Amino acid sequence: MKNKMKLLLASGLASLVLMTPALAEQMLRISYPEDPKTADVQKTSDAYMLPLNVFDRLIEAETTSPGQSALVPGLAEKWDVSADGLVYTFHLRQGVLFHDGAELTADDVVYTFDRMLNPATKALGTDILDFVAGAHERLDGTADSVAGLKALDKYTVQITLSQPYAAFLALMASPQASIFNRAFTEAAGDQFGLSPETTNGTGPFKLESYELNDSQRLVANESYFRGRPKLDSILVRVVSDSETLRLLFETDELDVFDLDYAVSQTPYFYGSDQWKDLIRTGPRVGMYYYHINQANKPFDDVRVRKAFQMAINRQEILDKNFYGKGVLENGVMPRGLTCYEPATPIEFNPAKAKELLAEAGYPDGVEIKLAQVSSWSSKWSDMNQIIQAQAAEAGFKVSIDTMDEAAYFDKRKAGVIDNYTQSWSADFNDPDNFFYTFFSKSGTAVRAFNNNDPVVFEALDKARGMSDAEARCALYREMGEKIVQEDAAWVPMFSLDHSYVVQPRVKNFVVPWNGWSDMNYYKMEIAE
Amino acid sequence: MLMFTVRRILVSIPVLIGITAILFVMLNVVPGDPIALLMKEHASPDVIERVRAQMHLDDPLITRYFRFLFAALQGDLGTSIKLNRSVTTLIMNAFPNTLYLAGCAALVSWVIGIPAGILSAVRRDSFVDHFFMGFSLLGVSMPIFWSALLMQYIFAVQLKWLPVAGFYGFEYVILPAIVLGWSSAGVIARLTRSSLLEVMRHDYIRTARAKGAREISVISRHALKNALIPVVTIMAIQVASLLSGAVITEAIFGIPGVGRISINAIQARDMPLLQGSVLFATVLVILGNLVADILYSVLDPRIRSQMRKDAR
Repeated sequence: MKNKMKLLLASGLASLVLMTPALAEQMLRISYPEDPKTADVQKTSDAYMLPLNVFDRLIEAETTSPGQSALVPGLAEKWDVSADGLVYTFHLRQGVLFHDGAELTADDVVYTFDRMLNPATKALGTDILDFVAGAHERLDGTADSVAGLKALDKYTVQITLSQPYAAFLALMASPQASIFNRAFTEAAGDQFGLSPETTNGTGPFKLESYELNDSQRLVANESYFRGRPKLDSILVRVVSDSETLRLLFETDELDVFDLDYAVSQTPYFYGSDQWKDLIRTGPRVGMYYYHINQANKPFDDVRVRKAFQMAINRQEILDKNFYGKGVLENGVMPRGLTCYEPATPIEFNPAKAKELLAEAGYPDGVEIKLAQVSSWSSKWSDMNQIIQAQAAEAGFKVSIDTMDEAAYFDKRKAGVIDNYTQSWSADFNDPDNFFYTFFSKSGTAVRAFNNNDPVVFEALDKARGMSDAEARCALYREMGEKIVQEDAAWVPMFSLDHSYVVQPRVKNFVVPWNGWSDMNYYKMEIAE
Repeated sequence: MLMFTVRRILVSIPVLIGITAILFVMLNVVPGDPIALLMKEHASPDVIERVRAQMHLDDPLITRYFRFLFAALQGDLGTSIKLNRSVTTLIMNAFPNTLYLAGCAALVSWVIGIPAGILSAVRRDSFVDHFFMGFSLLGVSMPIFWSALLMQYIFAVQLKWLPVAGFYGFEYVILPAIVLGWSSAGVIARLTRSSLLEVMRHDYIRTARAKGAREISVISRHALKNALIPVVTIMAIQVASLLSGAVITEAIFGIPGVGRISINAIQARDMPLLQGSVLFATVLVILGNLVADILYSVLDPRIRSQMRKDAR
């Protein structure tokens, strides 16, 4: 009964707020197409808006300029790394308070990472702690604690790695490394992060209400250690239909319209006198690509793979499907990523592609399949259709195999899926996040690239532990050339800009460095 | 009547068990790993394998099925893999929203459908008949996503009378109820019309007219009562189906109802949530049919007496 009354009151309040054109408080109204499911980042792998706003990390990745980031102190005001690159010592800020008033201590940090590795948690993002000494023993239940996690005193945490890992600091700035409070989180048990009553972070906003599949409301954390946010609150609505989303924005029921969720609306907003000056855009550290499965014939032959690369007119797709809002990419690293340098361009040459096919034993062309998911946005199927037409000129007779998402991931995991198109944006700003994800032994298998190149495997393992930044970057660039030019293991397509349209009252809206839709709203403002 | 109801409820128990068994087998035949779907692009083989084991998803099918059945008999439908919440709580929290929407939509469909059907039958082949039948045909034929968009554009964007989407008060349910109600109203109007035309040909209607009864009285007191019997069946089944979740309407208008939960479950191959949603929808359909049968007996004394005989 009590809950029902609360719900009624919350609904009434939301109704009043939504129907009032002039907002008294500085409330930002945004939307996402899917419910975030939880604020517990250890239990999600794709919804980071709540973790990024309700929690903090030891280090933060701050957007310094469009598409660029820098690691800045977060809950740790400074850190030291031992000469051998194995021991990281984080010195915490003193006086940082969780939303329930408890002070952040080193024990909370140890608890957070230990919780992630505790088998009882059933955490998803455990990869970030792969290199912490004793992590695997804790995960497989042979140890009760993690040997590499230590609270040296109330404000000092020491993390020891089992082997040097150059991307460790960057990883500590990823949302998965959000810090929890031991007492609160233990008490909340498996309900942690599912409701305002069971959510507690140090972040700039507190979770005030959470109605599944409807909305979440966040309010300013008055005692935030960086200073109270300018916004009083954020109303996050769950709107899955892109047409509804646009109507809500145009009737001033939303403050931000994310064009990623409705790419086809791009020309309308860019051409509209009312909206064109209110578009906020920025490059993203991310890339669209065409996957190639080398386990499937005829792609076991490098000449066919090269022909496939050359048969695709990437600029045409960028212009037609994405209205030219981006740049072509030719390597494994997109612009903005640490170590990025433009790679050798991939030539669009259908005649040469045809020759390569003939050389490979397919003078009359070859039948191939592309996989696509029925429930995904039409931008993917549109890309496939364009490529179907383009590749025909080179001799590829393309058929498109449409399946549901579950079947798609199943086939991918089994390594038997046909070539597909996808995109990847950086979780943390390090080449490891791209190279290891796609072309390591495990990455290439689980994504069904099957590019079993031992030279690449060895180099990627080596690069993870290299401390000489310049030599490490050089190795990644060399591997990028090998993977794209020599192995022709994938077709890098383009890195798109991420555009948003905002209401005139929205100030300080900055597209995050990695171009994610999930972002931190701390610095944003609503004009009076 | 009580005996009849109890018997119907008892008969539905094997139906429910059968449906859960079929669903369990089907979900294991179709491809899809809930953990891989949870991790999507961040899929890591080690993590998938570990979390599957931790959630007992690798146990034999029969073990998992009986574990589910045993818990379900005690009222525990398990925990959703994707949403990490109790399935019973998820459905019970979403159901009032669906009930509200379905109730309003049913009301709209009856208020439009029944009078439209009656007027069309009474003024057969006139302009009124063609107008109402055209209107109902439009309701049945137009896809919901299209009529929804049309309504949103006219009433929310242009006229600014109603909000575009959301679920924060009565004004938010008007558009979805009209969209959903209109599509159901078409079926009711056409059925009312054909049923009334059929009844109007019977001898007792001719007798009533010969007695000098007024046309309005012939229709309302004599014809309508019998003509509505098939309509009531459809109405009850329509309500049951609306209560199982109006998936598209809920998605377009952002209504956090049972339909959204079911879609979450199907897309994520979330076995406990899907079992719960299907079980819930089945119970509603069985109840809908039961209500239709009971209303039958209220409207038709012949059926009532047959039920008494059956009960004996």
